Formats: sequence, C-alpha cells, structure tokens
Amino acid sequence: MKRRQFFSGAAGAVLTGRSVSAGVSCGCALAPPPQNPLGADAFRGVGSRLKITSMKVFGVSLTPDSDRPFVFVKLETDGGVIGWGEGTLEGKAGAVMACMQDFRDFVIGSDPMQVEHHWQSMYVQSFYRAGPVMGSAISGIDQAMWDIRGKVLGLPVYQLLGGPFDGRGVRGYYHVDGQNRDQLQKLRGTALQMGVSCFKTGIPGYYEWIETSRNIDRAVKSMQMVREALGPDIDVAVDFHAKTSPSVASVIVKEVEPLNLLFVEEPCPPENVKAMARIARRSTTPIATGERLIASYGTRELIEMGVVDILQTDINHVGGITGLWKVAACADASGISMAPHACEGPIGGLATIHVDGAMPNFLVQEICSGVVAGPKEKVWEEWLGFPAMRMVNGRFPLSQKPGLGFELTEEALKKYPFGGTKPMARVFHRDGSVAEW
Amino acid sequence: MPGNTELAISEIKAYALREPVSRRGYTVVEVQTKGGLAGYGECAAAAPEALALARQAAVGQAATSYEVIGRQLAANPGMQAAVGMALLDVVGKFTKAPVFQVLGGPTRNKARALTPLDGASDAELMAAMKRAREAGHRAFLVPAPTSVAPNQGQAFVKATRSRLEKLRAEAGTDIDFVLDGGGRLTPGDSASLAAELERFHLLWFDEPCRVSNLAALHKIASETVTPLGFGRRVHQSGAFQDLLREQVIDVLRPSLALNGLSQLRRMAALAEPYYTAIAPHHEGGPIATAAALHLAASLPNFFIQQVPFTEAAEDRAMRAKLGGALEKPVDGFLTLPTGPGLGIVVDRGVLV
Repeated sequence: MKRRQFFSGAAGAVLTGRSVSAGVSCGCALAPPPQNPLGADAFRGVGSRLKITSMKVFGVSLTPDSDRPFVFVKLETDGGVIGWGEGTLEGKAGAVMACMQDFRDFVIGSDPMQVEHHWQSMYVQSFYRAGPVMGSAISGIDQAMWDIRGKVLGLPVYQLLGGPFDGRGVRGYYHVDGQNRDQLQKLRGTALQMGVSCFKTGIPGYYEWIETSRNIDRAVKSMQMVREALGPDIDVAVDFHAKTSPSVASVIVKEVEPLNLLFVEEPCPPENVKAMARIARRSTTPIATGERLIASYGTRELIEMGVVDILQTDINHVGGITGLWKVAACADASGISMAPHACEGPIGGLATIHVDGAMPNFLVQEICSGVVAGPKEKVWEEWLGFPAMRMVNGRFPLSQKPGLGFELTEEALKKYPFGGTKPMARVFHRDGSVAEW
Repeated sequence: MPGNTELAISEIKAYALREPVSRRGYTVVEVQTKGGLAGYGECAAAAPEALALARQAAVGQAATSYEVIGRQLAANPGMQAAVGMALLDVVGKFTKAPVFQVLGGPTRNKARALTPLDGASDAELMAAMKRAREAGHRAFLVPAPTSVAPNQGQAFVKATRSRLEKLRAEAGTDIDFVLDGGGRLTPGDSASLAAELERFHLLWFDEPCRVSNLAALHKIASETVTPLGFGRRVHQSGAFQDLLREQVIDVLRPSLALNGLSQLRRMAALAEPYYTAIAPHHEGGPIATAAALHLAASLPNFFIQQVPFTEAAEDRAMRAKLGGALEKPVDGFLTLPTGPGLGIVVDRGVLV
C-alpha cells in the first residue's frame, strides 16, 4: 500500500524503491515523505560499525499441543556476533512471530548497539502503541540486541546496567507443588535443605462476580494451610491470577491479613487501576501486579496512585531489558519493589536475572517451576549446557560471561518444532459462562 | 571475572578548580583503577567527608557497579554525581565505547544547546546574545528582571515582556528563549507572567518560583499554557514523580552536578510515560558538559542541554584542557564526543 502516492505521484514510488501496480492509493494525506528509510544513515559517525544482517524467528513447542510455544529470536551481525531474545506470549505464539517479522525493516541493516533508538522506533513508529503482541515482539528483539551489546562490550548485561547489587545472585521463588499438609511439610524440608526462602501458591477454583461463604472459606483455608505447613521462616506469596472480582478479592484479602503473606498477586484483572486500588486500600497485605502491562506507560497509573507495593513486570512482554529497567526505575522513585514475572522460556528468564541484579529495588524473582526440576527444565539444560533458572542456595546465580551469558544453537531447537498456536486452557462456570483462571 | 582487576577501583581523588576570570568553581573527581584506567567526573564542591565516604564505598569495587556505589552515596548528591560520571568514564574506556553506547545510544546524532545570557540590563543582555550567537548558540536562557519586591504586578510583567520583545526583535525567528525566574518569584507573579507570555511562545518558563508548595505550582500551571520547567535543586527523583503526577511540569530541569548520569536517567525514565522531556541544568565545568552530551545521546526524551557560555580566553583555555572542544555549538547544536568513555582527554596538569 503506497500511502504517499496520494501526495507525490509516481516519483514517490521511485524514491521508495517499490513498485505500485496502479495509481490507486489508500490515501492518507498526512503521511510524510520517507526520511532516513531504515534508520541507519542518520547515525553515521556516531553509531557503531556493526550491522544486523539477519533476524530468525523460532517457534519452539516442547510438546506438540503446548499452549505456550516459546518464541525465540536470533539476530546475526556482520561482525559475527549473534544475540538471542525471547518474546513468548501465552496463547499468541503465531501473532508474536508475525509481529517480529513485521519489524524486519526496523532491524535488518541497523546498528544493534543503539538499542534505545530501536526500541523507540519500534514502539513509537508502529503508531498503534503497546499491546501484548507488539510488546512481546519488541521484548524479544530488545533482549537479542542487549545480548549482542554485552558480547561486543565484553561485559555481562547486569554489569552494563551498573550492578550487581548482590554478587551472590538474585533471590528467587518456586511454585508450591503440594496438595495436602503432608506434601507441604515435605516441601518445607526440601526448601530448607536447598536454601529456598520463598514460594508462591494459587487459590483453588474459579470465582463468580460475588462469592458464597463456602468458596471464600475454601480460598482462605487453602492459604492458611500453605502458610502453616511452610512455616513462618519461608515467605509465601499467593497468586489470585485475576480470578476474583474486586469485591470478592477484597473480602478474601482482608481475611488473610494475619497470614503475613509476602504479597497477593493480581487480585483482579489489571486494566482498571482504580478497581485494584479499592482492594489495596482496604487491606494491609501487599498487593502485586504487572505481568500483563506493557512498557512504562502501562504501569504509570499504578505507580502514581500508589496502588501496589510490588510490580511483577515480565521481560518477555514489557519491552525487554529496556522496558523492564525503565519500569523498575519508575517504581524505585515511589518505593515500589520489583518481583519480575517469568513463566515462559529460559532466554527471557536469564535476561530478567541480569536486570534484577542491577535493581536497587529488587525483591524476588519468579520462575514457574517446582523445587524439583521437571522435564521442561531438563530440556533447557540440554539446550544451554547448564541448569538454567535453577537456584543455588535460594538464588539464581549471575553469569560471568559477556552478554546474556549463554550459548544456544539452532540445531538444539530442531527437536522441538513449532506445533502451531494453541489457546491457553479455557474454563467456564457451572452455567457455562466464561471464567478466568 | 574477565577484566576484574582492570576495573577494580584503587583510588578516588578530588580537585577543587576555579576559572581564572569568571571565578566559576567546580570540583573534578578522578577515579583510578588497578588496571591503570582513569575516569573523570564533576560536581560543584566536595567536602572531605564526602570524599572519604566515596572511597569507602568504591575502593576495591568494580567500576561497573556504578549503580551500587551510587546508591551508597545518595546522602551526598554532588559526590554521587561526580563518582557516577567517573565510573561510567572508566566503563566506557574499558569497553572502548562512548558512554552513550554503553547506555544504549545513540538516540540522536547531536544535542541541542541552551546557554544563559549574562547581564543586568536589557542592553547588556542584547550584547551578550550577539556574542553567543556568533559563537553558534541559538537558544538562550534570559533572566527575568530583578524584582524589587514580591507581588510586583503589572510593572514587573511589562518589564519582562519588554525585555523579551527587544531580544526577539533583534534575534529574528530562528532564535528561541527560555525565561529564567531563578526560583525567586512569588507564585502570584509567576502565574501572571506565565499567562501574559503565552503568545510569546517561550520554549518554557524556567524555575519561576521555588518547588516547595504543590498548590502554588498548581495555580501557575492551571492558569497558563506556557510550558513550565522546574527542578534545578531537586535531587530525589520522587519529587519529579509528584510534579509529573500533579501535571505542573513540562520540562524536567535536574542539575547535572547534583544528580549525575544514573539519577538523571532515572528521572528521564519517570518523565517518559508522561510524554515529557528532560533538559538538564548545568552551570559547572566541561567534564559535566561531556557527561551531559552522553546522557543526551542515550535518552529518548532529551530536549536541550544547558551549557555555560565562557567568554574569557583564559577560562576557555582551562576548560579546553579538561574537556576538549565540546562546548562549541554549530547552529545551536553540540557535537557528540565519540571517543571511549566520556570521550575527553583530561590534561592532568590542570588538576592541582
């Protein structure tokens, strides 16, 4: 579609180097003539001489029916340095892969060192801002550029960012994988042995707009059981996963104040900040949210209204390392801590550890894994050659290698071809209406 | 760790300098590493206790831990700023890259400059503008007339307007102005002036009054569309959070000597989701000018950089020995330093 045809006629087609079959234009009279077409020329003399020569996008399904195939992106440069990033978006793998391809003209031929410029270019010049699909596509490309930047500059990314605040690594938490008191007590033993100091659990069932006393009690009791079994010296966070309305969440959160939870996560869906504020102001329990929010624009209102104590920004959606760092910087000015979300693949996980390590306001890092490594974690180790996203003494170790600190081959991914986009699990209430999990 | 020794900080020194003619004073902070790298930063002044704290926080640490070290110096803003610049200078030299590249830039290929006009009368300001234009400047910070009393009303408003109109008549349309209130006016005078000058199209009205009462700032901001700049004395980025949330600020004006690169980057990050830019205040020496240019080239929401206008040949010579030729604008824009680190070669002979 040649919009500027409307303005400049045939000459426009020659200038942009693309042919137009007929003189019909879609006609936006506001479209400017092309300027600095793929970005690079404006920075001759001030940018690096490195150029991105290729971008390869990979959909990686550990099982053919996976609802969250990993979306990885690999950037190659004319200097031979390569970078990997991740933009996995649950239930929308194909859309993110296509969106990354849509950014091809922003990426190919550009200088990978000037990541802030490319971030702005992708975000601002897409016209339609934010959104999880575009946020995830930018996230992957941004991480890959940071990987290259670190390798070229010879430093791990957390050192480029001014860290580490704690050389021992970044504190993490696993998810609770026990169903009953016995299993939970066993989990406590394992945790103490391994030095793991924090866990997250969920709340049972699905919740209607207003809930019955029975279902409220069930939620409260499940949290009490986890808290009692894990003991007072292990921090417990609870993910409401936005299953509850603000009305129901407020009632439950009030009940669990005596449990001294580390935080309650997404007590309601994230679009309406005032709704979440209503829950927060009626409880002393710290509230956390943020995994679905894109760029620092997405968290602005939460921060300025002082709604949350903790932000759970996800490096695979927010806009990569650049996006996560900015959210953390904004949060820091208001005394808000960071507990970044990580429920996708190992590249985003490892990237987020670098940013965590350079945050003064870092609290704890998630990984959607149990205290015992499962098949997914085995695959990651097979890909990367080390137990990625596994804690040592309760902390994720910081890499000493330049860039993001791992090597990955395309060959390694071939065993897990893209099985296509699959929707996330869908749940319904007893009357067939749509529920959230 | 690769390069660990090279990056390990071995010593921090501070040198209080004064320009011979202007008597402008600033302190240069030098960080040395075990590997023989040296980095430079700058602040207004450094108390011996602050230097001792900096040594305590930094010696033995890696220069890459600039955020960690900076955080420990938060109670000593100037020292925090100077050490932070010096550490990034070291990191840049170690990586053989300009600091703006370490920070993710370039986001631009040159940086717009703003310089203050010095003078007590309109005639002096006109003459100063002529000299600064010849030196390549195109945007000027104009002092509001000295106030004789608070709440001066129309006489003061007219005098200010007349001053600006004379300058614009002389300058033509390719020259822009920032009105500098120096934080000295009352909120009432500020509001009257800002409203009166709406159609003059100042770039912005800078620091009309003190940033001490949000309600007073509300009054100014709600009565005018003249953009407002605040913050030359602000160190806590949370203060900018308040000004942004309350919608009373159009340009963030944090000082380089008080905040350094790390804090300024955080303030810029705060401003970005408010579609607001940063225009750092700077009236010190040339090393901070270099740091400012790297900051400008690493930020998306940078607008303009204030730089001192140095006229005396002896002062210029001294600044050149510290910062090279960075303070020479071409048609209103400063050229980016592209060498490793801050891109300056400090003549240690000046550091005494």
